[in-house]
Amino acid sequence: MGKISVYRFLSAGCNGCDVQVLECLVPRYRLAELNVEVVSNPEEANVLFLTGGVNIKGREELIKVYEKINPPKIVIAVGNCALTKEIFDKGYPMVGPPDQIVPVNFYVPGCPPRPQAIVKAVVQILGAKLEDKEDYWATPEGFRGKHEFDRDKCIGCGACAQVCSSDAIDVIDEGEKRVVRINYGHCSFCAFCQDECPTQAIRLTREYHLLTNNRGTAYIMNDVDLLECASCGAFFFPQPQIDWALKRIIEEKVPKYLEFKDEILDAMKLCLKCRREIMNMKKAKKILAELSAKARGS
Amino acid sequence: MPEKVYVGPYRPQLVEPERFELLVEGNRIIDAKIELGYMHRGIEKLFTTKTYMQNLALAERICGICSGIHTLCYAQTVEKLMNIEVPERAKYLRCVYMELERLHSHYLWFGILAHSLDEHKAFLKIMVERERVQDLLEYLTGNRMNYLINTIGGVRRDITPEKAEKIRRFLNGSKPLSDYIMELLNDNGGFTRKTKGVGVLPREKALEVGAVGPTLRGSGIASDIRKDDPYAAYGELDFEVIVENDGDVRAKALVRARETYESMKIIEQALDNLPSGEIVAERKEPKIGEEFGRTEAPRGELVYYIRSNGTNIPERVKVRTPSFANNFAILEMLRGETLENARVIIESIDPCFACTDRVTVVDAKTGERNCMCLK
Ligand code: SF4
Ligand code: SF4
Repeated sequence: MGKISVYRFLSAGCNGCDVQVLECLVPRYRLAELNVEVVSNPEEANVLFLTGGVNIKGREELIKVYEKINPPKIVIAVGNCALTKEIFDKGYPMVGPPDQIVPVNFYVPGCPPRPQAIVKAVVQILGAKLEDKEDYWATPEGFRGKHEFDRDKCIGCGACAQVCSSDAIDVIDEGEKRVVRINYGHCSFCAFCQDECPTQAIRLTREYHLLTNNRGTAYIMNDVDLLECASCGAFFFPQPQIDWALKRIIEEKVPKYLEFKDEILDAMKLCLKCRREIMNMKKAKKILAELSAKARGS
Repeated sequence: MPEKVYVGPYRPQLVEPERFELLVEGNRIIDAKIELGYMHRGIEKLFTTKTYMQNLALAERICGICSGIHTLCYAQTVEKLMNIEVPERAKYLRCVYMELERLHSHYLWFGILAHSLDEHKAFLKIMVERERVQDLLEYLTGNRMNYLINTIGGVRRDITPEKAEKIRRFLNGSKPLSDYIMELLNDNGGFTRKTKGVGVLPREKALEVGAVGPTLRGSGIASDIRKDDPYAAYGELDFEVIVENDGDVRAKALVRARETYESMKIIEQALDNLPSGEIVAERKEPKIGEEFGRTEAPRGELVYYIRSNGTNIPERVKVRTPSFANNFAILEMLRGETLENARVIIESIDPCFACTDRVTVVDAKTGERNCMCLK
């Protein structure tokens, strides 16, 4: 491919991504070395960079601009707004993401993606080479990039989904498993999930080259076993969370409950539905009453 | 016969999409209107669907360029609602982060100004040097923009002595860039020629249209929330409110250029006098009621109003951004100017339409859609 002429289009984002694209022009980011220039008219462009989630008003403009781009008409969505509308997902004027309106070839997740991520994406798309220079791709410590699950630590409690600022985390119970899925293509990289996770199972890593041609794959996930109800056999609660809670309550907080561990576990093995049923309720109450009497007595 | 000329919405000189309708006679602009809406995202409605904590990330995304000050203003207003006493150290750290943001925002503005004046060399030089602020912010906060450094009750990351050292080194390296910009504005090159006497906003007009920030200070009025209604640690730090009297584009540029030195001064002092202690206080339940908060964003006074019904989700959040206040000034400044100057005049208030794009007001009597667009 000869000269790459990029036209920038923004509708309904925060500006951040557009500024990052602009910053790519700085010689340090070496976009020029790849024979890439940014042009000011869609008629002169053959590559379109989209940022923002597109609202009602931007929609028609986007269609107009798209039509004017010359072949090969490569469309690259930059930033999570352009992937999924991110934090603005439920905003009433939003009609995007842009791939609902015009065809999009590539996606660069991030909020905003670093200029290096955009440059690397261009390099990969073109199949070009950019000589590695020292520190060029390096991130500082504490950089908030793609997440990493510690599968052994995650207890499936869903606290991360509760605090997530952008509705980026799904908690889905399927059969005997609970799936926790972090859609980093929907994420604002606020790191609230990392802060709130009770077992430090989520960590935001320094990985930021996240180019993809299918935004549906921009996620990481983990699954945990669900506990089976002792009465009806339904799967209803993450097993590791029960273990964790028991450990915390009995071993760390109230050690004198330790000897009744099995009884407590039995009481916890009933699903919500069964607990509501009178018979079981009575049984459960009885177990608990016995437990507390014993605990007081000892 | 006057003719209508449109600038935008998708034109390269403007960083963001917006459309200006200019009524032109000969080469003179006789009237101007702004049409916004390309950036509207329904943020104020979204605020009422998220918790106080989650809203931090949303507030920051009102505008990616001055994202930090949005979280600060929001957090300070929520802190009033929750009756939280912010630790002293956090207050000083907030000043450091926010002044770094002012530096990056002002430098970006100079880059864009150079771009709209077709001073390509200056544009590149400023943008190259500006990268140092971005690197520093990324190093301190973990992201180049949308750093989410302020939180309810304090800040999220501390500045260790090692980091402070790095900031000091950065400041020393930044002065030459500010000097370079001052030079551009004072020699008789393109910068001075193309901005002097252009887009004058007289003092009285500036007050009348309610301009804020550097746009107002460029017209001879010393108004700065950091001094007038001190927040964070600004009350204890020594700095000057920069004022220029000419009211033209150059005056606004000079205000910003001189302000970069003041920002450096503030950061140095804050680092020298950094109190020890916690960096964040515990969150509490919000009271039932309403609060109002304001801060000085790089572009001027930023206002948040939050009403709480005692739950963990706000009932109403209203944001008045500086660019909204300044839009009226653009219209004033454009009238009577030549068409060639329109671009630099629009840029001179450092418009941030992501901030401004909110609602279109339609005159009910005439059905005329007016330029009053809020975020
Ligand atoms: S992805 Fe993030 S940085 Fe980019 S426009 Fe959206 S909110 Fe802004
Ligand atoms: S960092 Fe975690 S909490 Fe924040 S938006 Fe992403 S997934 Fe959600």
